[in-house]
Amino acid sequence: MACTKLTSMRVSRLLLSALALTVAACSDKSASPAPGEPVTIVFKHGKLFGDPRAFDALIKRFEDNHTGIRVRTESLPASSDEQHQFYVINLRAASADFDVMALDVIWVAEFARAGWLNDLTETFVPADRKNFFKGPLAAIRYQDRTYAIPWFIDAGVLYYRKDLLAKYEFEPPRTWEELSNIAAAIKQREPGMYGFVWQGKQYEGLICNALEYIWSAGGDAVRDGRVVLDSPENRRALGFMRALVHERGISPELVTTATEEPSRRIFGSGKAVFMRNWPYAWTLFEQPNSPVKGKVGITALPHFSGHDSAATLGGWQLGVSKYSRHPKEAAVFAQFMTSAEALKALALAYGLNPSRRTLYDDPDLIAAQPHMAQLRATFEHARPRPVTPQYVRVSQVLQSEFSAVVAGLKPPEDALASAQHQVEAILKR
Amino acid sequence: MIMSLRALAAKPAAFLAPAAVMLAAVTVYPILYVLWLSLQRHSLIAGPASFVGFDNFARLIGDGRFWNALANTVYFTALSVAGELMLGLVIALLLAHAFRGYGTMRAITLLPWAIPTVVAARMWEWMYNGDFGVINYLLGTDVNWLGSPVWAIHAAIAMDIWKSTPFVALLLLAGRLAIATDLYQAARLDGAGPWALFRYVTLPLLRPLIFIVLIFRTIDAFRVFDAIYVLTGGGPANTTETVSIYAYKVLFQGLEFGYGSALAAAVFVCVAAITAVYVWLLRRSLA
Repeated sequence: MACTKLTSMRVSRLLLSALALTVAACSDKSASPAPGEPVTIVFKHGKLFGDPRAFDALIKRFEDNHTGIRVRTESLPASSDEQHQFYVINLRAASADFDVMALDVIWVAEFARAGWLNDLTETFVPADRKNFFKGPLAAIRYQDRTYAIPWFIDAGVLYYRKDLLAKYEFEPPRTWEELSNIAAAIKQREPGMYGFVWQGKQYEGLICNALEYIWSAGGDAVRDGRVVLDSPENRRALGFMRALVHERGISPELVTTATEEPSRRIFGSGKAVFMRNWPYAWTLFEQPNSPVKGKVGITALPHFSGHDSAATLGGWQLGVSKYSRHPKEAAVFAQFMTSAEALKALALAYGLNPSRRTLYDDPDLIAAQPHMAQLRATFEHARPRPVTPQYVRVSQVLQSEFSAVVAGLKPPEDALASAQHQVEAILKR
Repeated sequence: MIMSLRALAAKPAAFLAPAAVMLAAVTVYPILYVLWLSLQRHSLIAGPASFVGFDNFARLIGDGRFWNALANTVYFTALSVAGELMLGLVIALLLAHAFRGYGTMRAITLLPWAIPTVVAARMWEWMYNGDFGVINYLLGTDVNWLGSPVWAIHAAIAMDIWKSTPFVALLLLAGRLAIATDLYQAARLDGAGPWALFRYVTLPLLRPLIFIVLIFRTIDAFRVFDAIYVLTGGGPANTTETVSIYAYKVLFQGLEFGYGSALAAAVFVCVAAITAVYVWLLRRSLA
């Protein structure tokens, strides 16, 4: 039993183990089953919203095809921060209570460096890799090895009011300047409307928003291991974000406190022309009682002229714990859950977007969720946030500096110079 | 009876031992452990810990973000505790008089204190909302309370005052009701008006309780975490980041247990110093 191990643990680990034990109640799995007995693997993942039957049916299908393996699924709180804490505390205590885990795109490098993930380079073969989007493939690599398999993908997209753009004879904007002009024109003729809402609170979402302006101006945060925050491209990008709020009045000041849901509610109640958000909002806008049902369009985010549009990559990957007692079976399960068959079933049931690009040609899927066809182009260009084991600390610095810019506290050049300095110090340490 | 008391006096250690062991396990050990951690470079994601002496504290001294957080914490504490004490005192003195429905009134006054902080903070977050928040509606303003570098910290202070004033009022009310009525009658016979009654009877007799209230509230406000974490997460641009929020981010998001423990130790030292000052003032005023 896992509990008896406590006594032999080093004292300095006691606190952590105690924490781990309170979160994950001791399980009494036998270490090695008798030959012929099926092994049980545990799959940890964030809570799925929707009818659980589709998920259960998928697990059952796996068990029917792999008679030697039983799967127990255990869901974690929806908050990504809480899941991160759960994994870190348990993995640090070398917990064998779970085998396969769903990983946020920003954790893979961190966990790989800590030695908590099995190397899946041989499992996730190159022949299969080409069926996935590029962004997640970059995020699952650490020091030229592969530590996870992409599961679901997420990326920033632009929502717009089709009806209003048609009414005033505008095309969906391709550049940020066009977006600003269209928003200003429509705002003037539709009193009480906001132009463009996005996520500007000091939190992870602000990084996702800001990087999209930075990349679409030709800038970057870290390039080939070098910090390149303090650049003219980045100054232009952040300067534009600040101008949206403080000079042009295109974005209301409240975007500087908005996370995903508040901005989604504003747009969803018909009070904004444009919104930057993740694809999840689409299904909510198309609900029968939604005030904007049938009036919303979705497209790639704009870019600065002369550059390409960019979207920040989000989403989930499946990894196998280093402390798994059944790593082979766990890898087989991870492969099944990321197969075209499984991803299609989950996409149909839960509206999650598969990381497999080949599925975006699937007639059933496109028929059920027509907007997926538009999302494909965005997912093709989605880029991971800086892939580094120190990501959380880098993010904290950027959150504070970017927040100072959008709140109008610091000019972009000061914030970027200060961020450059601090991030360099973190990556050096 | 007398015999057993003597027996107890003869062997105090034996009787104190259970409590001492308990305290050592739940208080002394964690404190020492945090201090020990604060002398190490200990990051959950970066391999084994190593002893680095006072490096973490040296880093703390040069860490602008720490000093910013400390300044925010002191500002928050000073304003919220001052506000709570004044409002709480007024409410306590009003509630000390019998009037129609004062029982109900006392119960209602306690409500904000009874609501869990996280729930209350969510409520206030909605009320402060710049788009449809009730506060802008009532004031007829169009202020983005939680997004403004100037207003955000004050918005948090206002919420804390709303939340904790009932606690102050309740304690002071208990103290006020414990003051014998003949003292007031005697003072009135001597010709004391309402102000003199307050200044020379109520206030001096409430003083010890006021110190206790101040100690409780100052320590609590100094460690403020949940209310601000929910309202702003420390933003915009760290203008509402308190030391506890910073320590939380370093410890549980950045997973740097060494430096995070140094931050926690710094909070501990500050709180201990504040308490020492209050206790000294209390002793002096009683002497």
